[in-house]
Amino acid sequence: MKIAVCLRRVPDTTAKIVIGASGSSIDEAGIKFVPNPYDEYAVEAAIALKEQAGAGETVVVGLGGDTVQETLRTALAMGVDRAVHLQGAPSADGLENARVLADHLRGGGYDAILFGKLAVDDYGQQTGAMVAELLELPCATAITKLVVADGRASVEREVEGGVEPASCALPAVFTCDKGLNNPRLPSLKGIMAAKKKPLEITPVTVAAGGVTIVSLALPPERAAGRIVGEGAAAVPALMQLLTAEAKVI
Amino acid sequence: MGVVLPVRHQVPLPDTLIQAVPPSPEAIELDVLIVGAGPAGLACAIQLAKTSPDLAIGVLEKAGSLGEHSLSGAVINPVALRALFPDKRDDEFPFRQSVSGEAVYFMTESGSSRIPTPPTMKNHGNFTVSLCELVRWLGLQAETLGINIFPGFPAESLLVDGQRVIGVRTVTGGLDRGRNPTDMFQEPTDLVAKVVVLAEGTRGPLAQAWRDWQKVGSENPQIFALGVKEVWDVAKPLDRVIHTMGWPLPRDAFGGSWCYPMGPNQISIGLVVGLDYHDAGLDVHESLQRLKLHPLFRPLLEGGTMVEWGAKTIPEGGYYAIPSRLSGDGLMMIGDTAGFVDVPSLKGIHYAMESGMLASATIATALGNQGTGDAQSLAAYDRAVRESRIVRDMHRTRNMRLAFKDGFVGGAMKAGLMTLTGGAFPGGRIDMPADAAAPREMQPRQPFVPDNVLTFSKVDAVFKAGNATRDTIPSHLIVGQDISGDVADFYAHLCPAGVYERDGDTLRVNPPNCVDCKATDVVGPRWTPREGGSGPKYRLM
Repeated sequence: MKIAVCLRRVPDTTAKIVIGASGSSIDEAGIKFVPNPYDEYAVEAAIALKEQAGAGETVVVGLGGDTVQETLRTALAMGVDRAVHLQGAPSADGLENARVLADHLRGGGYDAILFGKLAVDDYGQQTGAMVAELLELPCATAITKLVVADGRASVEREVEGGVEPASCALPAVFTCDKGLNNPRLPSLKGIMAAKKKPLEITPVTVAAGGVTIVSLALPPERAAGRIVGEGAAAVPALMQLLTAEAKVI
Repeated sequence: MGVVLPVRHQVPLPDTLIQAVPPSPEAIELDVLIVGAGPAGLACAIQLAKTSPDLAIGVLEKAGSLGEHSLSGAVINPVALRALFPDKRDDEFPFRQSVSGEAVYFMTESGSSRIPTPPTMKNHGNFTVSLCELVRWLGLQAETLGINIFPGFPAESLLVDGQRVIGVRTVTGGLDRGRNPTDMFQEPTDLVAKVVVLAEGTRGPLAQAWRDWQKVGSENPQIFALGVKEVWDVAKPLDRVIHTMGWPLPRDAFGGSWCYPMGPNQISIGLVVGLDYHDAGLDVHESLQRLKLHPLFRPLLEGGTMVEWGAKTIPEGGYYAIPSRLSGDGLMMIGDTAGFVDVPSLKGIHYAMESGMLASATIATALGNQGTGDAQSLAAYDRAVRESRIVRDMHRTRNMRLAFKDGFVGGAMKAGLMTLTGGAFPGGRIDMPADAAAPREMQPRQPFVPDNVLTFSKVDAVFKAGNATRDTIPSHLIVGQDISGDVADFYAHLCPAGVYERDGDTLRVNPPNCVDCKATDVVGPRWTPREGGSGPKYRLM
């Protein structure tokens, strides 16, 4: 099987975010960046699919500035065979990024193309499905189970109150959700091997597209919790606050 | 309240730190393995990669990312950076700013008087830095030289063959509290190398175990101080480097505070206390909280925000605590691990880097021409250190910290005479017991309640260290037997991160809170290496 994974680099979810001077992007100084957690499920799924097939190739593709190479190396350290860095500034318009990715992936002979279901920084949730559409491939989003046999994929999606099984012919595009697998940690051997794996750099131009980020703002700070008392004696006061102040009952 | 004698409740180091077993057949083979990616380890790796590009060099680091366990004040002397990167200009180094002014104060509870800056504490020509940022920057330089850096892989034990160190085994990851494997299980990896360089930082467990095993002593035992530090975003820039002595520390404790400018809108503030203090209830974190409310500091912080908190010990024994040997068969010690800190000038980073560079020169020669890294070839490093600025500076101030063991006033007078005589007064060596041998007694104290604006509890502080250690991790702390209520109280006040609590007359331990400061390893429960990426995630310390 030949499998591609598209990988994003995002701020660590515990990083303290500061809005940059432009007001429409974050200040990246001092922030630790990590592979997008949902993309790690996709990387793990790709490695596992190839292991199960016993042959094939896994390729990780990242669009962005040079710093994305560090993220691609992490995927190589986990076990992906080679990496492609599409070198260029991504657009705020998901469709333009999807076009660049689709142009690269088209004709690559991939049996499956995997994404995370969303990137935890901008929550766009567009790129995977758009790439599928541009490549005219079937697409299953937010999958929590993936089984491949006889040229077809069976997947499960978690929907409100239950599970939705689905299946499609390969090649196809999948976006991966939490629960699909436990991404492996890079081993020491993996980290050393990653340094020697091929990382191809392809300059690309991403069109501006039709979306402009007007401004970014941080969510309001959560008010501190309050302890109203202890034991049964505190219940009336708590009820009073929940009805009168918080208005949740 | 009884007297607590810490050494009585301390267990010996676990014997698992030295493993006389053959390495796994899958072991990674390197020429040089450095344990610890701090300023010492990275300077060693960078210099070695420049002079001997054919050597396979690896650096293990217990923090999840580079710099996340590094903490210092810090005002840095730039000499070592300039020597390591002769082609770079000062403005290419990750300094926060140059020192533009300095002031030293003697503090009382309500006031402060400026005193002349002791000659050893003059900082003209030095720069303030965040050590985290410096380490991250050094890591980038090392990566471009092809050095293998492995963050998130702590060394658990030294692998030895006869008297020779042949490698390191990493910590097993993904175990539950009962040490059973979970689905995150990560088996240990063996790394073998011709030379293992211990750059573990302060109070390194492998260095302690190796010295016990090889019977490498020192004239005085190493002694330590605990520093607690906060970084604040502030509205107004600070115009000078501040150091204080006196309050809030009792007169029989050695230590002081600092406040450094970190650019136009950030400052660092911290308090350091020698761990030979006598009051069993002395609490460095709490003392720092009180200090911030003092009229000297309060105006600097008001309206600002505490953005990061951390704690770390500092080896303070100086010249007489330097190990009698710094190298052996297949092993070398550099940086804080070897105790290269000059307390009177409050400097260690450039000595750490210089010791790493001296080690690299010895390794380059020792491994050239098919050398094996035997004890004889590595002993050149011992000689180089003895002839270097490191030992020269530490010798000049050899008795200064020791003079303070019985109190501040007499100590200050003696230290003054030592400065005047270039270290010749009082002649000989002041004998210093280990910190754990100093008896403690609880003194009466005022309760302290944090206001959550300027002052914070230990629980809130640990959150600001970025500590997100897995709750189900096995305990890495080894507590002694028969811990009375008094001892539990002593530990609870000692630990800045709230790992220890007194619960009735027993001790409760919360290992995930630990920020690897190593304070209790010095005078209480032992610290052992734990799963990679545990502990703090400092960005600004």
